[in-house]
Amino acid sequence: MLEKMITITIDVQGNAAIDLEGFEGRGCEKAFEDFRGGDRVTVERKKPAYYTSRQPEQKKTQR
Amino acid sequence: MSKYAQLITDLHEEKYLVEGLKERGYEVEVHPEGAPLGRYFSEQEAKTAHVIIRRSHLKGAFGDIGFARQPDGRLVAIVDELDQQCGYGAKWLGRVQQLYKEKQTLATARAKGYILKSREVVETRDGQQVRLQFVVRR
Repeated sequence: MLEKMITITIDVQGNAAIDLEGFEGRGCEKAFEDFRGGDRVTVERKKPAYYTSRQPEQKKTQR
Repeated sequence: MSKYAQLITDLHEEKYLVEGLKERGYEVEVHPEGAPLGRYFSEQEAKTAHVIIRRSHLKGAFGDIGFARQPDGRLVAIVDELDQQCGYGAKWLGRVQQLYKEKQTLATARAKGYILKSREVVETRDGQQVRLQFVVRR
């Protein structure tokens, strides 16, 4: 099982990017809201974990 | 499921702003009711702020720098135009916001029970980024 990891990158203007890995269901939203604080969201996208784990397999079948 | 998001930082929490400014070596005044900002030219518009660094503590500055509380709760920087061109412009303010965001993030993580795994300063073409990694307490 993947470790639940939150990476916050704060750029030179003080704006932040949040990357959440290894979460399932509501835990992801909770962690996101914990770290968002009152900040405005400009970009948001979900990254289903299966996408990365299946990628090499898909490449194989294409050959 | 995992997620990625980009956020725009607004200064809301005075204590992290004050901590960040102090960490940069500034003496900071906090005025809950607001106080007038010192001006260089008498004809400049009089302004008040709630967090103030006096120009005597700002090397080469013409006026005081303040952060004024807005009706929506944000603290917005008030910097004289001359001072924006003398080292207190977007880059300076960006660094202040970066320190604010780092302090706010670390405090939030502590309060919510996340564990800091690493802190990294990453050099980029635009300047230094701060990367914080947390794990969830099991």
